[in-house]
Amino acid sequence: MTPEIFSLCALAAILELDTTYAVQLTFSRGIIAGPLLGLITGDLMAGVQIGVFTELIFADVNPLGGILPPSAAVCCAVTMALHALGVELYFAFFFGIIGAALFSTLEKFMRKNRFKWLVFWEQKITQKPNTVNRTVGFALASSFLMNFIYIFVFVWLIGQLTLALLPHLPLKAHDACKFAFMAVPWIGLATLIPAFRLKSR
Amino acid sequence: MNFAMRLNIFLRSFFLQTGWNYMKYQNVGLTFVMLPFLKTLYENDKDALPSVLTRYLETFNTQPVMASFCFGALARKEEAVAHAKTLTAFKERVTEWSAVRKSLSITAASIGDRLFWGALKPLTLLLALFIWLSLGVNFFEGCANQTISAWAAFSAGAVAFFAFNAVAMFVKWKGIKISFLEDENACFGLTRFDWNKTIYRAKRLGLLAAVCMIVYGLYYYLKDFQEPNAHFYARAAIVLVFVCLSFVTRKLKIANMYLYLAAVVTLNIVCLF
Repeated sequence: MTPEIFSLCALAAILELDTTYAVQLTFSRGIIAGPLLGLITGDLMAGVQIGVFTELIFADVNPLGGILPPSAAVCCAVTMALHALGVELYFAFFFGIIGAALFSTLEKFMRKNRFKWLVFWEQKITQKPNTVNRTVGFALASSFLMNFIYIFVFVWLIGQLTLALLPHLPLKAHDACKFAFMAVPWIGLATLIPAFRLKSR
Repeated sequence: MNFAMRLNIFLRSFFLQTGWNYMKYQNVGLTFVMLPFLKTLYENDKDALPSVLTRYLETFNTQPVMASFCFGALARKEEAVAHAKTLTAFKERVTEWSAVRKSLSITAASIGDRLFWGALKPLTLLLALFIWLSLGVNFFEGCANQTISAWAAFSAGAVAFFAFNAVAMFVKWKGIKISFLEDENACFGLTRFDWNKTIYRAKRLGLLAAVCMIVYGLYYYLKDFQEPNAHFYARAAIVLVFVCLSFVTRKLKIANMYLYLAAVVTLNIVCLF
């Protein structure tokens, strides 16, 4: 793990906060997070492509009510980190999608269990109103830490696995992954048409 | 509500969703946003603040941008609660406050979800894609042989970022003021804007842009192949199959990412055997 990957994971963890917990200025969108992460790895074109593909593949899932879409920032970060480690982009993107889906599951688990400490904080807030500032700070710090640990561990584990497996993969597997990768923008664009229907949400 | 207080609420509103949980959703965030206003309002009655905060720590969930309408309306209603002369009036006003919190959060969320997530986000994505394609960034193909300047890489994202946030920040900033000044009859300022017309226009524009993008993409795909060969037909067939499948999976409410993962596995199995 190079300092480059370490800083990429840290930036991705900050960007991921923008998805829900802080600011929500859309820094975590694929088309913004992708090029930003590409700047760290030194491959801007890969950043742009992954950013666009991530947005298009996740275009059909919106954060309505309690729905938790897969994280575009995590997907871009995992893909770009694996690509920086030497994994082909079409393989890395496959693991990026899996990473984002697993992160979504972890996030759901965290949200379900957060009320356990929330009851404690609520009592503190009603006793001392200014405690709410500390509660927000604590929630942000813990979310950042969880994001960073998850992305770092996932990239390290999958990085080791893919780098060990890739030399043994047949050439046909590369072609298969390339074909599926190239279908992504078309699947995404086809989704946008029904998404813009007036009856859809 | 003066300018400084409005600015304070506006800045704090960026942390509305901090501490989001499945039990009470944005309750901590709402308390965090409203705290400066409540502290000013109950400056001379500090003992009342704990019971007031208990109300704010109840369940609250809405769309983060449209939440600004809830902040202004709740502040206005809280003023009425704070100035109640009798116990009966106090109880009535607390009930009204709770009803406004619940009903306005649902209405605002419904509008916000359709406008920001359903229309504006995909529309700004298409805007960014058009800009990249016009700058010669062909993301439909592999990027191995392509180089891109930092300006070209960030310009499209920046345009999408500013386009989305110009609308979001305007609604957020105006929403606090309007909802504080208007009353229930004007739905706390929500009726000032023709939301349905805006959503309708944005979706129509989005539909047109999506169709144009597909045609633009097809042009990019076709122009690289002077003479169609086996590779051309194979790729076109695979893409067509998965696009058709995406319509089916949409009906079945299966997300596109699972279709992609299934495509990788299926194509690997086909290629290996």
